[in-house]
Amino acid sequence: MMMPNAQQLDALQVDLDALKQKVQEQVGESDARYIKRVLLVQRLSAISGRIFMVLGFITPWFWLLGVLLLALAKILDNMEIGHNVLHGQYDWMNHPLLHSKRYEWDIVCDAGSWQRTHNYEHHTYTNIIGKDRDFGYGLLRLSNDLRWRVRNLWQGGTYLLLSMLFQWGIAYHELAGQRVFSKKKKVGRHSQVSDQALKKAFLSKGTRQLVKDYLFFPLVAGPMWLWVIAGNLLANFIRNLWTSTVIFCGHFTKDVHTFTESQCSDESRGHWYYRQMLGSSNFTGPTYLHILTGHLSCQIEHHLFPDIPARHYPAMAVDVQAIAAKYGIAYNTGSFFSQYVSVFWRIIRYSFPGGAKTTRLVNPKHRVQSML
Amino acid sequence: MLGNQPAFILYILPLINVLWPDYLPNAFSAKVISLEQKAQGMLYIKLKVSKRWPGFSGGQHIDLFLINNGRIVTRTFSLCSPVSRWQSHREIHLCCKVQHNGSFTPLLAGLAVNDRLNVSKARGDFVWANSQQSTTFIAAGSGITPIAAMLLSQRHWLAPVTLIYRVKTAENAALLPELQALAKQHKQFSLFISDSAVESAERFIDSLAHFQSDQYYLCGPPAFMQIVRHQLNMFNIQDDCIFQEQFGLSVIRVDEKNAEDLVQATFFHAGTNRVAHIAKGVSLLQGAEDSGLSPRFACRMGVCFQCVCQKVTGQVRDMRTGILSGHGEEQIQLCVSQPVTELVVKL
Repeated sequence: MMMPNAQQLDALQVDLDALKQKVQEQVGESDARYIKRVLLVQRLSAISGRIFMVLGFITPWFWLLGVLLLALAKILDNMEIGHNVLHGQYDWMNHPLLHSKRYEWDIVCDAGSWQRTHNYEHHTYTNIIGKDRDFGYGLLRLSNDLRWRVRNLWQGGTYLLLSMLFQWGIAYHELAGQRVFSKKKKVGRHSQVSDQALKKAFLSKGTRQLVKDYLFFPLVAGPMWLWVIAGNLLANFIRNLWTSTVIFCGHFTKDVHTFTESQCSDESRGHWYYRQMLGSSNFTGPTYLHILTGHLSCQIEHHLFPDIPARHYPAMAVDVQAIAAKYGIAYNTGSFFSQYVSVFWRIIRYSFPGGAKTTRLVNPKHRVQSML
Repeated sequence: MLGNQPAFILYILPLINVLWPDYLPNAFSAKVISLEQKAQGMLYIKLKVSKRWPGFSGGQHIDLFLINNGRIVTRTFSLCSPVSRWQSHREIHLCCKVQHNGSFTPLLAGLAVNDRLNVSKARGDFVWANSQQSTTFIAAGSGITPIAAMLLSQRHWLAPVTLIYRVKTAENAALLPELQALAKQHKQFSLFISDSAVESAERFIDSLAHFQSDQYYLCGPPAFMQIVRHQLNMFNIQDDCIFQEQFGLSVIRVDEKNAEDLVQATFFHAGTNRVAHIAKGVSLLQGAEDSGLSPRFACRMGVCFQCVCQKVTGQVRDMRTGILSGHGEEQIQLCVSQPVTELVVKL
């Protein structure tokens, strides 16, 4: 793969900005109608799911149906609605609910905390080793850019555990980064909020979610309480596994690149785009799959245009792929299955010492003006 | 808690919208009964409001909510109809000037009879609280609307009341026929028209000396009210006898040279930060929108507090008063704040 030079990176920026502008002009009524319809399906599946679970006393199949409906509701709320609304994709609607400042989602992670770690840290410093803590979540070694430790030997198991408890991992992410419960603070790390506020948000959102799923709804269910606890637990597991799988397939596939801090200091907007393209991966599938992933199946387009309503990504992917080909930039896509296999390969490969470094070598001359 | 949203109504909003597509929380449905384009671009709209609408006092204003290409847009308007009309027919009237380059009033003008829209409850403390004392109302231009609502709503005329209505051309003055009819009906009420084409501003200001009352109500463009108030003060009329409603957003003119100077503003938004360069003469709301952000907003004139944000550092100017803020952390209204120094704001 050829490395684009500074002029090519500038031209890349112009092309991608033009694409963004073109789609931005199309955003309007149909997007508002779409997201409201997804919201309606989410509400209907959440409410019917909880009712069917209690009707499990008639036949356990009802309980199972209820669990699946609730899992669907939690997935839609997490991905197509929550993730995208909290990115500000629908702020232009000025809607009382679908606004990044107001929306709160059905997972234990506080929306504000997620916006700081995900929207800011992860989307700004995507795949920069030491800056983007989403790269391996501080638990997994996913390239030889990170020192091998003994604990990496069993990171396959750590990964499965993280997937099952993914929402708790996401909720604790900022607290871990800020070392809230440790006295050893990382030098030079800045926080927008105090440790106290972080702890408070974590505990209050976590408690609310636990009370809702494992106390309130079981109590309402009366004699079916145990079934409801089990059903809610299962629905949360399904959602956790799904979101973690989607996100891992979007960032930790075999060919995803990493970057070093020095490569990205004073980077141009064109280089930022370039980094997003190499730091993400897509997977293909039918429309329903795109919706269930919150269109993060088009992770490359999401990273390039995080505030464009996500339903436009599959159409934009065609243009982005053509632009990538024009500049000789790798465009990492494949089937859901093949991408997942390559994620698993990466986790297992780097659980052992050695392996390849995945950082892209960028000539410092390619850096032009500051982007931020 | 169950729905994770600030209010349960927001959780079930998608379900409510299946039955009532136009339903908005904290708003009330209204139907357009008639829509009349009058001279000088004035638009007169009659609305029938839902039974739940809690009513108003003459002089108060409401927010109108319209949907434009999927986006909810809002503006504030004073009501100009009598309270009795709402009591008997659930009807409220609005009168406004259509700004052809504006983003809201052309939408309003494009409505058709039987169209539905949402309105907020009535707000504002510009009401005629003590009608037992003699009163002089001074209105200019579309500032007549809240004053017309006060006068037309009045049932018992207990003391002399005067309205001085300063207009551009008397034949086309908004709400004039209704007010003239009122003057014919009630001897206590006298109406004076001051046509700016005939009477100069100086003569008009001087003529105020003839109108002595216990209290004064002013409504019109900010500069007009400032001059009238100053003149009334010259006649030894105390500020606590003068009540005024600011109509529209008064913009304190910054020095023309500085108006286009750019100030750097960093907006923390949804966890990320965006650096914008905003002209000193532009509101932060406008500046944020121009740089591609969509902060929450409604009235865009400092009334509704929907766009309140936390300023972390930097100084802003209140566009209504010209007062400068401190440099530290505080809450500001984006729609009426202009940047003065480099800013950091949490949207």
